[in-house]
Amino acid sequence: MNLRRDHVAGGSFVLAGVLVLAVSSDLPFGTMASPGAGMLPMLLVGIMLAFGLVLFLRAGESPPLMSIAWDDLAHAIRVTAVTIAGIALYEGLGFVVTMALVLFTLTFIVERKHVAIAAALSVGVTIFAYMLFGMLLKSPLPRGILGF
Amino acid sequence: MESIFANLLLGFEVALRPDVLLYAFLGCLVGTLVGMLPGIGPLAGISILLPVTFGLDATKAIVMLAGIYYGSQYGGSTTSILMRIPGEAASVMTCIDGHAMARKGRAGAALAIAAVGSFIAGTFGVIMLTLVAPPLAAFALRFGPPEYAALLVLGLVFLAYMSSTSLVRTLLMACTGMLLGCIGIDVMTGHFRYSFDIKELGDGIGIVPVAVGLFGLGEILSTPSKTVTDKVASPRLAELLPNREEWRQSAMPIARGSVLGFLVGIVPGSAHIIASFLSYAVEKRVSKTPEEFGKGAVAGVAGPESANNSASTGAFVPMLALGLPTGPVTAVLMAALLIHGVSPGPNLVTEYPQVFWGFIASMYVGNMMLLALNLPLVGLFVKVLQIPYAYLYPLIIMFCIIGVYEVNHSIVDVWIMLIMGVFGYILRKFDFDPAPLVLGLVIAPTFELSLRQSLVMSSGNWTIFFSRPIAAALFAICGLLLVLSAISYISRKDWREKLAEVEAGEK
Repeated sequence: MNLRRDHVAGGSFVLAGVLVLAVSSDLPFGTMASPGAGMLPMLLVGIMLAFGLVLFLRAGESPPLMSIAWDDLAHAIRVTAVTIAGIALYEGLGFVVTMALVLFTLTFIVERKHVAIAAALSVGVTIFAYMLFGMLLKSPLPRGILGF
Repeated sequence: MESIFANLLLGFEVALRPDVLLYAFLGCLVGTLVGMLPGIGPLAGISILLPVTFGLDATKAIVMLAGIYYGSQYGGSTTSILMRIPGEAASVMTCIDGHAMARKGRAGAALAIAAVGSFIAGTFGVIMLTLVAPPLAAFALRFGPPEYAALLVLGLVFLAYMSSTSLVRTLLMACTGMLLGCIGIDVMTGHFRYSFDIKELGDGIGIVPVAVGLFGLGEILSTPSKTVTDKVASPRLAELLPNREEWRQSAMPIARGSVLGFLVGIVPGSAHIIASFLSYAVEKRVSKTPEEFGKGAVAGVAGPESANNSASTGAFVPMLALGLPTGPVTAVLMAALLIHGVSPGPNLVTEYPQVFWGFIASMYVGNMMLLALNLPLVGLFVKVLQIPYAYLYPLIIMFCIIGVYEVNHSIVDVWIMLIMGVFGYILRKFDFDPAPLVLGLVIAPTFELSLRQSLVMSSGNWTIFFSRPIAAALFAICGLLLVLSAISYISRKDWREKLAEVEAGEK
């Protein structure tokens, strides 16, 4: 079978619908006169399965799967990895240290900019953001183990 | 009419006092700032400043707090256009064509059109508020749970019908969004749904993490810096503003958006942010160049921004005339009035005419203040785009994390933002439009509550949706749109498919 874009898309929605159905077994559907917590999710899953199947069956009209361009994938993976690390450290290390590290990593390591410019940008912008959100707007930014 | 004019003069006497003007300006300024900053929406801004108003009289308090609300609608478009991050949920649709205009070097024009469209729509809304508040509010009172359910279904079907992507894809996205909206505690029975023992998910998934992730982070993931080669030239002052053709293209969308937004806004509990989604769909459908949408169509900015502002003004109709809050923001505004000993409702006009008409007059003034605030700053905002993209997107990521964390001070929200960012990246690859997902998420709680209340009211009889005239009319329109879609689907002469082919060929 010549795999098309909508084979994957439609199949994914059908699979997602089945998964949601599987984890919804404990939700009561209720009755028409007293609808339960599971009524709307089940209705939506039914619609998702139906439309997912339609998409899958009409996939012949969509472009081939191999025609999707993935030249931005490397960039997406790098940025996602740095963001994951930043979020994981955010509450532990605190706002100032984490944001400075995230900015520096993205500008120096990912974008390969000059180290001095990357460092100055990271520290300067982080301090500005801290003053804006932490001091002016009194937003409780995470302090972390270093106290700031 | 004469009494309305006389009362309005009374209102302007109050609104143009220097102390009231000062608080109106403060509210508009704070509103613009909170609208620009993702995660800090008008509700947060109003809640933070509510205690400040305890020492003020009722008129100044409501003028300032309302200024924050409609000011945020202006501010939300700025980050949407410049960075493709919706400053607040109602600005999601502006992200699409607004940012595309910015990439074409027309950021100033987009910002100016958004500001002027917001001003015209806001002023239109205030005029309508002045003239038709009581009779329209009486009509809005006829909306019960079946009518709300019908209205929201119509909104989804209408959006799907108007969209250039297929009906199937649009409804799949909307279903996904509504399923996400089911996460959390069920308000009627207390069941935890899909929270997987994560207590932060008990309150459900917020709109901000999803919108920022899908539109902000998703865009960054699919845009490596080496592909951004366009230098944003430093524009001259004349180039900052829209040209004659762009003004011409924005005129009718502003007019349509104003009317549509106001009508949606006056319905209590209608989730009036759907106005911007509906306006975008209408503009795309009536446009002679629908292939331009998504690539910087002026109507794609003018319509939704106008609808957005008009809806936020329309939302005051039920609040003032009936004492019915249309959402959390108007509920807090009502609380502010009650704290000051003023009861909103049918007697507000007669018992507190200075508060009522002073408030309305201040909205005329406030809209002019916002235009004066936003237009001159267009040049300053455009300078943000001159920052090289390799330095700009890390800053955007930082502000996304800060803004999303700010909503509930929950790191789970930030993780959701990241997951939605990756999901948004994948959706782009498979040619799905993420906007209906956000709409589904927004309307899910209201729709479910309306649906279940309707069934409880009717003891499980589905015909309640067809025996009530307004609900029946709305469902009949839904049915007609679905039949039209099915006919064109079967005959394969679907204008949406032809449009999608044209768009795909141009990529």
